[in-house]
Amino acid sequence: MIRSELDLNYVDEIVVQCGTRREAVVPILQAIQRHYRYLPQPALMRVCELTEITPADITGVSTFYTHFRHQPVGRHVIHVCEGTACHVKGAELVRDAVALHLGLAPGQDTDARGEFTLQSVACLGCCTLAPVVQIDDVTYGRVSPRSVPQMVAEERHARSAPPAAARPAPNSRPGELGEIRIGLGSCCQAQGSGRVHDEILAVLSESGAPAAVKRVGCIGMCHQTPLVQLITPAGESRFFSHVRPEDVRSIVLRHFRPPGLVRRLGYRFARWLDAFYSNEADDAVESHALDVGGQAVCGFLGPQKHIATECCGDLDPLDLDEYLRHDGFAALRRCLRELDPPSIVDEVRRSGLRGRGGGGFPTYIKWQKARAAAGDTKYVVCNGDEGDPGAFMDRMLLESFPYRVIEGMAIAALAIGAQEAIFYIRDEYPLAVARIREALERCEQHALIGAGILGSGLNVKFRVAEGAGAFICGEETALINSLEGRRGTPTLRPPYPVETGLWDRPTLINNVETLACLPWIFRHGGDQFAQLGTGASKGTKVFALAGKVVRGGLIEVAMGITLRQIVYDIGGGALPGRTFKAVQVGGPSGGCVPASLADTPVDYEALVQVGAIMGSGGLVVLDNTDCMVDIARYFLRFTQEQSCGKCTLCRIGTKRMLEIMDRICTGQGRPGDLEQLEQLAHSVAAGSICGLGKTAPNPVLSTLKYFRDEYEAHLQGKCPAGKCAALIRYEINQACIGCTLCAQHCPVHAIPLTPYRRHAVNMDLCTRCDTCRQVCPMQAVDVVS
Amino acid sequence: MPTLTIDGQQVEVPAGATVLEAAEKLGIEIPALCFLQGYEPSTSCLVCVVRNRQTGQYVPACATRVVDGMEIDNATEAVSAMRRTALELLLSDHVGDCLAPCFFACPAHMDIPLMLRQIGEHNLREAIATIKQDIALPAVLGRVCPKPCEKGCRRNAADNPVAVCELKRFVADADLASGDPYQPACQPDSGKRVAIVGAGPTGLAAAYYLRRLGHACVLIDRQAQAGGRLRTEPTPEELPAAVLEAEIAQILRLGVETRWNTAVADQADLDRLCDSFDAVLLACGAVEPEQIAAWGLAATRRGIEVDRNTYQTQRPGLFAAGNIFRRKALVVRSTADGKEAAQTMDQYVSGRAVRGPGRPFSSRIHRLTSDEMQEFLAGAGAACHSTPAAGETYSDAAAAEQSNRCLACGCVAHGSCKLERYAILYQADATRYEGQRRPYEVIGRHAAVLFEPGKCIKCELCVKIAAGAQEPLGLTFVGRGFDVKLRVPFGGDMDAALSKVAAECVAACPTAALQFARHATTHPEDRCAAD
Repeated sequence: MIRSELDLNYVDEIVVQCGTRREAVVPILQAIQRHYRYLPQPALMRVCELTEITPADITGVSTFYTHFRHQPVGRHVIHVCEGTACHVKGAELVRDAVALHLGLAPGQDTDARGEFTLQSVACLGCCTLAPVVQIDDVTYGRVSPRSVPQMVAEERHARSAPPAAARPAPNSRPGELGEIRIGLGSCCQAQGSGRVHDEILAVLSESGAPAAVKRVGCIGMCHQTPLVQLITPAGESRFFSHVRPEDVRSIVLRHFRPPGLVRRLGYRFARWLDAFYSNEADDAVESHALDVGGQAVCGFLGPQKHIATECCGDLDPLDLDEYLRHDGFAALRRCLRELDPPSIVDEVRRSGLRGRGGGGFPTYIKWQKARAAAGDTKYVVCNGDEGDPGAFMDRMLLESFPYRVIEGMAIAALAIGAQEAIFYIRDEYPLAVARIREALERCEQHALIGAGILGSGLNVKFRVAEGAGAFICGEETALINSLEGRRGTPTLRPPYPVETGLWDRPTLINNVETLACLPWIFRHGGDQFAQLGTGASKGTKVFALAGKVVRGGLIEVAMGITLRQIVYDIGGGALPGRTFKAVQVGGPSGGCVPASLADTPVDYEALVQVGAIMGSGGLVVLDNTDCMVDIARYFLRFTQEQSCGKCTLCRIGTKRMLEIMDRICTGQGRPGDLEQLEQLAHSVAAGSICGLGKTAPNPVLSTLKYFRDEYEAHLQGKCPAGKCAALIRYEINQACIGCTLCAQHCPVHAIPLTPYRRHAVNMDLCTRCDTCRQVCPMQAVDVVS
Repeated sequence: MPTLTIDGQQVEVPAGATVLEAAEKLGIEIPALCFLQGYEPSTSCLVCVVRNRQTGQYVPACATRVVDGMEIDNATEAVSAMRRTALELLLSDHVGDCLAPCFFACPAHMDIPLMLRQIGEHNLREAIATIKQDIALPAVLGRVCPKPCEKGCRRNAADNPVAVCELKRFVADADLASGDPYQPACQPDSGKRVAIVGAGPTGLAAAYYLRRLGHACVLIDRQAQAGGRLRTEPTPEELPAAVLEAEIAQILRLGVETRWNTAVADQADLDRLCDSFDAVLLACGAVEPEQIAAWGLAATRRGIEVDRNTYQTQRPGLFAAGNIFRRKALVVRSTADGKEAAQTMDQYVSGRAVRGPGRPFSSRIHRLTSDEMQEFLAGAGAACHSTPAAGETYSDAAAAEQSNRCLACGCVAHGSCKLERYAILYQADATRYEGQRRPYEVIGRHAAVLFEPGKCIKCELCVKIAAGAQEPLGLTFVGRGFDVKLRVPFGGDMDAALSKVAAECVAACPTAALQFARHATTHPEDRCAAD
C-alpha cells in the first residue's frame, strides 16, 4: 500500500504546528505540498484523523484552490504567466513553445523524464516585463517562443551546477561617502537585478570602493530595470538603466574611486583599467545613463504624485529605522495620542478616501459600520489577494512599503476597536509574504504592534494568511470563507462583513492601497488629501501601466488625470510605428476605453460611465495589433476559470458566453451569436450574486459597444488585427531574399529551407507562433486574414 | 416587525424573515430548487430571484432578509425572464431525458417505458390503462403499425430495440380476452355535444377521448359500420375482423351515439351539423378538392386547410383531423390526430383558450457515445430481442423479460422533478443555449444509491444534509467553476458517503441526480450479442 511507503510523520509535525481546527486546513495543505511536492491522499487522510477537519472539508478545499496538486509534479515547475500584459505580448505562443520544446502531448503537463511540469498561472504581477515565465523561483521576463529552448537549457544547467554561495546581506552603512541604490522587487529581480546587485557587492568588496549598497523599494520604472541609482559623495544623483552585470564594474568604479587601486589589484585589472579610462569605456557607462531631467525620467515621474508610494526608490523596504526617520508611525502616534476613534473615522471621512480594491466604497462608512457593530471581538483584514491579471500595485506596496501598510492597519484596528489584524496575501507573491512577515517581526520587537502599542493600552495581534490560487478570494465574503478554512465561495450580502464577518464577528476588510494611504492622510490631514482629485474621487490612485506603451511601470497619479495623459505623458505613447487603440481599465471586471474617449478622467463615476471601472489599478494599453474580440475573450476566459461555480448564472452563463466567444474567434460564429452573447451578458451581470459574476460580462459588453465592427468581421471570418490564429495565414512576399533565417527558426519546420529563393510557409504545419515574422530582416513575412 | 410588498400585496413578517418566507405567508409560490427548510440557503440555483424595486437589483428570495418598506417584484415579465434564463442555463448543462426517445418517436406519444415497467412487473391491468391513455386501438395498432417507436428506441443502436409494438399487442389482446376489458372512467357529463364525421381510426380515437372528457359524441359515417380504412387497407390476415370489431365495441361502449349510412355531402349538411352541435370534427379520411369546395372550405394541396397545432379549420367550431388534411399517414398518426383533436375540442367547448395539445417539455440527450450506451445497458435486462412466432403469443414471463430490456431512458423523476416543473411553468427552452455537453454516466451501479452527475444542478443540499448529520465520509464539491462536481471524498462510494441520510438526500434532490437503484443490474458478459 502507498500508505506504508509514505512517511507520514511530517503530517503529525505540521498538525502540531498549525493546529487541529478547521481554519488550519489551508496552511496544513500548503505545508504538506511543500514537503511532498503534492498532496498524497494518505497524508490528507492522516490530517482528518488528527484534526477536526473532515474528509469532505479537506477534499472540497484542496480541490477548490488551484495551487494544490493531487498528482506528483516534475522536479521543476515552469509557470507561464497568463496575465493580461503577457497575453497581449504572446504568452500563449510562449506556452506552446515550452510544450513543444518539452515534447508534451496535448493534455499532458509533465515531460517524459519527469523533469519539468508546465503550468499556467493567472498573473505573476510582472506585467511590464511581459511575457513572463517563472521556473521554480526564478523569473524570466520578455520571453519569446524563440528564447524558450535557451531558457530551459539555462535552467537545466543551473540546476546541475552546485548552488551558488548565499548572497551577502545588503549592507546599510549610513554615513558612508556614497550610496548605490538598486530595486529588488519581484519584477526587478525578474529582469536580472539580483545578479547586478551581487556584482555590485562583489566589485565593492574586491575594490574597496567607498560606497554603501542599498536595496530600495519599487520606483515604478519597470521599463528601465535593472535600474541603479548612484548618490555620489557630493550628493549628486545619477540613474543607470538596463544595467547588466558586466557593466557594473565600470559604472561603480567610475564614480567611487577606490583608494590605492593599482597597488591592490592585479595585472589583469590594471589592463582593464587602461581601457576604463579610454573613451570606449566611457561610452559603455554613458550608454546606460539616464538623463534625470529628460523625458524618460521626468516625463515618467513628473506627473505623478506619491502618497501610497511615498519615498519610492529611496527607502530600504525592511529598514525600520529609516521608515521611522521618514515620519514612519507618526500617523499612528497621532491617532493614539491626539485622536479618539470617532475623530479618526472623521479624518478618513474628510479625506474622501474610497476603497482602492475596485468597488470604490467610501472607506469611512465601512469604518463607521464596523465601529458601530455590536461585539467585543473585531477583526481587520488587509486584502492582499490582488488577483486581476495586469495588476501588481498591491504586491509592490507590500514588497516596498510593508511598514506603511502595517501602520495603516494598526490605525484601522484602533479606529474600529479590533484586536486582531490579518494580512491575506496571495501565495503567488512570496517576496511580499516574506517581507510582511519580517516587517511584522521587527515591528513587534519595537512594540509598534502587538501588546501595548507605542506605550498605549492598545493591543493588536497581527498575522499573515496566504491564499492558494483562487481569484475569487479577493471578494470579501469568499475571503472570509477562505480564512475560516472553507471553499472560497462568496455568500450573499447583506449581511456585510463589517457586521457579520470572520467567525460571524464584525470584520473590516480594506485593500492594501487603501491602507497605504492612511499614514499620509493622518500626517497631512484628510483635507489635504481631499484637495487632490475630482468631485467624488479624492487623492491618488496607483496603476500598473503595461501593454503596448513605451514606458510601462508602476505609477501613482492624482485622481482626475486623464487616460490620455497617463498613456502619452507618463507612458510615452504607443510603441514606434503603432497606433494607440484603447486602454483596458479595471481588468476582468473592467472594460476597454477606446482611444476616442481617452480624455476620460481617472474618476470612479466617469470610468463607469464609459463602461469600465476604476478597478484595482490595471491599465493595459492596446494598439492596432491587438484584437478587441480576443481581449474580451481573454478576460472572459479568466473570470470563467475563476468562477467559484456556486450560482447558476455565473457558473454556466460565463461558460456559455465563452463558448460563443470561442466560436467567434475561431471563425465558427453564427448569426444570432452576438445577440445571444449580449442577452447572456446582461443576465449574468444582473443575476449573479457576487462581484465576480456581476462584472464578468463588462469586457464583452464594452468591446461590443465600441468595437462591434471587429466582432462582425470575425463573423465574416476575418480578424482585422491579425491576431486570432484560426483566422490568419502567414505569407512570404517578394521582398524575401532567401536568407533562410525564418526556416531555421521555425520550431515546427513549416518553412522549407530554400536558400536564395523566396520561401513559403506550409500553413498545415504552421502554428502561427509569429517567429518567422520576427526574425525576418526584410519584413517579407505578412500576416493575412 | 418589518412590512414589505410583493407584487403590490402588503405583508408583515417577523424580523429576520426572508422574502421567500414572506411570499409563503401571502400564498405566493416562488420557485426554488436549492432551498430546503432547515438549512442555510445556498443561493446557487437563482431560480428564486425577485427584483427589489428600490434598488433595481435581482436578489435570491431564499436568502434576502426583509427590510421594512421593501417592495418586491415577483410576477413581472422581467423576473420571469431572469428565472427562465437560469432554468435554461441549468438545462443547457443537464444530461438526461425527461422523456425517453421512444416517447417522441411514437406519434401518439405513449408512455412506453411506463407500459414496459408494468409488463415487467406482470401488471397488465395497469399496462392497458397506460396504453389507452394515448392509444384507443392498441390491438389494431399492435398488428398494423410499422413501429416508429422501435426505430426510435435507444437500444436500437446497441443491439435491437425492445419489441414495444408486440408487447403492446400482447397487453391489448390479453385485455380483450380477459372477459372484463379495461374501461376508463369518463368524466361527468359536460353538457356539450360533439359530432364526428367519419368513423375510421381518427374518428374512433376522437370519440374515445371526447367521451373520456365527458362530452356527448355522435359518430357519423356514410358506411354502415365503423372502421373506415381499417376495413380496407390491412389484409384480414394482418388484422382479423374480430380484433377490429372487439376494439370498436370497446370504444362505442363508452356511450357513443352512431349514425351510419349518413353522408355529409355539402355545405348545407355541414351548416346543419354545426348549428346543432357545440363542435364538429371532420375525420372522414383523404378527400378530393371538389368535396372540400362543396363544404365551402379552403383547401391545400393535401386536403382541408387546418391549423396544425389546434386542428381548427377556418370555420369556428369546425375541426378536422387525420388524412382529411394529411392525405396519407400511418394509422397511428391518425389515431394520434383523433386524440389530439379531442383534447383541442375539449378546450374549445369548455371555453378555454384553444392552444392545441402542446409539445411536452423534455430535456434531451440526443446522440450517445458508445461509453454512454454502456451506461444505459448496464441498467437494463440482458435478454435478446424476441417476438412470438406467427400465430403465437408471449408468455407472461417472456413478455416481462422482453420488457425488462428497456433501458429506461426516461427520467425516474419525470413528473416529480422540480427542474422539469419550473421549466414547464416558465416555458423554458432546453435548447436555447448550446454548449459543451458532459458525458452521461451513472455512478454506483451496484450500490443502493445511484448518482447521475449529469443531472446534478449543484444545489448543495445533499452536501449540507450529510454534513449536518455528521456522516463520517459525506459528500463534497470537488473543483470549482463550471467543472465543479459532487463527489465522495477519497474515492469512496455513495452508500458509504450516505450511511445515515441516503433517504433524506434522495428526497431532497430537486432532480434525479441522486436516486435509489430500481433495476437489478446484470454483468455485461451475461448480455447477448447483437443479432
